[in-house]
Amino acid sequence: MKKGKLFTGIFSSLFLAGAVLSGCSSSSSGGDSKDDLTLEVFQFKVEFKNQFEELAKAYEKENKGVNIKVSTVGGGNDYKQSLTTKFASGEEPAIFNIGGPTDVEQFSDRLLDLGETEASKAALEGTLDGVTVDGKVLGLPFNQEGYGFIYNKRIFEKAGIKAEELTSYDKLLEAVKTLDSKKKDLELEAVFAFPVKEKWVTGNHLSNVFLAPEFEGNVLKAYESPTVEFKNSEGLKQMVDLQNDYSVQPTTSLDYSQQVEELFSLERVAIIQQGNWIYNTVYEMDPELAEKGIGIIPIPVNGESKMPVGVPNYWAVNTKVDEKVQKEAKKFLDWMYTSDTGKQAVLEDFKFIPAYEGYDGTKIADPISQEIYKYSEAGNTIGWAFNGFPIGWNEDEFGASVQAYVSGKLSWDELVKKNMDAWKEIRSQQ
Amino acid sequence: MRNRDLSFWLFLSPVLICLIAVVIIPLLNGLFYSFTDWNGLSLNKFVGLDNYTKLLSDNEFMTSFWFTIKFSAAAIIVINIIGLGLALIVTQHIKSSSFLRTIFFMPNLIGGLILGFIWQFIFTKAFAAVGDAVGIEGLKGWLSTSETGFWGLVILTSWQMAGYVMLIYIAYLQSVPQELIEAAQIDGASKFQRFRTITVPLIAPAFTVSLFLTLSHSFKMYDQNLSLTNGGPYNSTEMVAMNIIKSAFTDNAMAYAQSKAVIFFVVVAAVSLVQVFYNKKREVEL
Repeated sequence: MKKGKLFTGIFSSLFLAGAVLSGCSSSSSGGDSKDDLTLEVFQFKVEFKNQFEELAKAYEKENKGVNIKVSTVGGGNDYKQSLTTKFASGEEPAIFNIGGPTDVEQFSDRLLDLGETEASKAALEGTLDGVTVDGKVLGLPFNQEGYGFIYNKRIFEKAGIKAEELTSYDKLLEAVKTLDSKKKDLELEAVFAFPVKEKWVTGNHLSNVFLAPEFEGNVLKAYESPTVEFKNSEGLKQMVDLQNDYSVQPTTSLDYSQQVEELFSLERVAIIQQGNWIYNTVYEMDPELAEKGIGIIPIPVNGESKMPVGVPNYWAVNTKVDEKVQKEAKKFLDWMYTSDTGKQAVLEDFKFIPAYEGYDGTKIADPISQEIYKYSEAGNTIGWAFNGFPIGWNEDEFGASVQAYVSGKLSWDELVKKNMDAWKEIRSQQ
Repeated sequence: MRNRDLSFWLFLSPVLICLIAVVIIPLLNGLFYSFTDWNGLSLNKFVGLDNYTKLLSDNEFMTSFWFTIKFSAAAIIVINIIGLGLALIVTQHIKSSSFLRTIFFMPNLIGGLILGFIWQFIFTKAFAAVGDAVGIEGLKGWLSTSETGFWGLVILTSWQMAGYVMLIYIAYLQSVPQELIEAAQIDGASKFQRFRTITVPLIAPAFTVSLFLTLSHSFKMYDQNLSLTNGGPYNSTEMVAMNIIKSAFTDNAMAYAQSKAVIFFVVVAAVSLVQVFYNKKREVEL
């Protein structure tokens, strides 16, 4: 008996000691061979992980001795969480992503000036706004994205509605009423699917359409503004009410996948407020619908219809890595956006709406993106100011209070006041 | 102190080192950070108790704390009643009892996130479909109000934890001496009397353990909360763990989040220990 105990003791302590030791050893085994240069890219876009890795391989082939190590961590919050952890633990990727002014400030001591790169010179007007500080360009845009009302062409046609004519709230309301009255014939569950549960849909996108004009659509102006005034509070209320009243209920538990996959892709609603990123999802559900059956129109504001187009993310180069690596990182980014191989991949594999000049607009992969690029080329856009709203305001304040508003727990006036106060408060703490 | 020789420390060291490295040091580290303005990357100055005073006037934190307390109270009661009930069922001499044990324990094997998504589907789809078919309005629109969100979380947690708690109760129920029960039976005690005056006191340690486990589990719950309601609607079903993570990683107020976590830790530890202390006193020895 005694012997048995001793053995278990030794065995278990060995086992544990082994576990501790192996934990130590794994962290020191990261070294590569000495002549090679390793470029570590830490990026968040899961959707194009494979295509991006392909492109990285092509670059490795053209540039012997360069190793590109891509790690992908998906989703908005998760990415930043892991990036912060990575930095805190002393690991420094050469290239990483930043989202806008907030990140620029947070990571300011790690951002290399990219003003000299070819890509930054080719960037379309306005796309560098969010990352330009004191004349330094601290990031390079990924791509452009746009959102608005995505509609089902077949249903619109059947109901006799012409999408391009819906340029004001009144016309939109009329069309929605028409659709609503023909719900049975059109086999619709409702006109809209309004995912109030997804706080970013209301907090980032819808609010931006009505609040961006206060900041002239400029993300930096929004970022610097100590207050928000809700000058067009009435317009915002109308649009929330319209989408909510004519939506599949209950909207507070309606989420993105229900909205896009279950309701829109299966043609059970006619209009959703979303952006070009839904294309792939719709395509997977119903390729024919995605290719021919959907279109996008801007959300009308004050009789104007401008497409909200912005840069969701930027590439940044880390100042804390070796100078040689920094140089290679810049070269890689330039190559990706300005070389022919890179351009082709950006358009055809990544299916991006390019944020740079010198691209062939007709080669953009999907009809929604093409439509958005048209607005962008014509300059008929409003910026994505929401990336400059106070941290946490978009979703936790505005998005959450819209949930309270549609549940009847908060009146619109209270909502406006609460959010104005919250904006001021968060800003005053910074 | 014959025990405390070299080999004692030698054998203890692996565990001790692990414990110090992953529990004690982070705890002290966190306590230290809660007095600073750390934002995850840089630390500029000490702010003393500022984080803690700010916390007292933080409505959202207080709301989520209150929600967590309400939730834990409901969850603990429901889980333990169901757990004990299931344990009583499977310790009766019925044919399929070992099969039933497996089935009842099964939910505990599914990860919290997945469970959340499964139940989200059940609440929003299956409930609505049944509600439509039977004509009960109350079954529609689950998770879209804070009440249904609350009960959704309670149901989910109970479903997951009841089987686990059942195992603990089974272990204690089986150790209740049969002769005591028979003796009481001969004395003419009814089934309920036998349960209340003999079984319950004898399985008191099971209550201590189960209450402790369910208490700490419900207080610290995060993944089920995240996948089932994500705090919605209007942040009314946001529990403390989620609130802390939000201030840490969305608002980048790491030090502030840390101070919340310290308070949270103190409260959970205090409540659990008081509970264990109080229940230990009631346990009887044969």
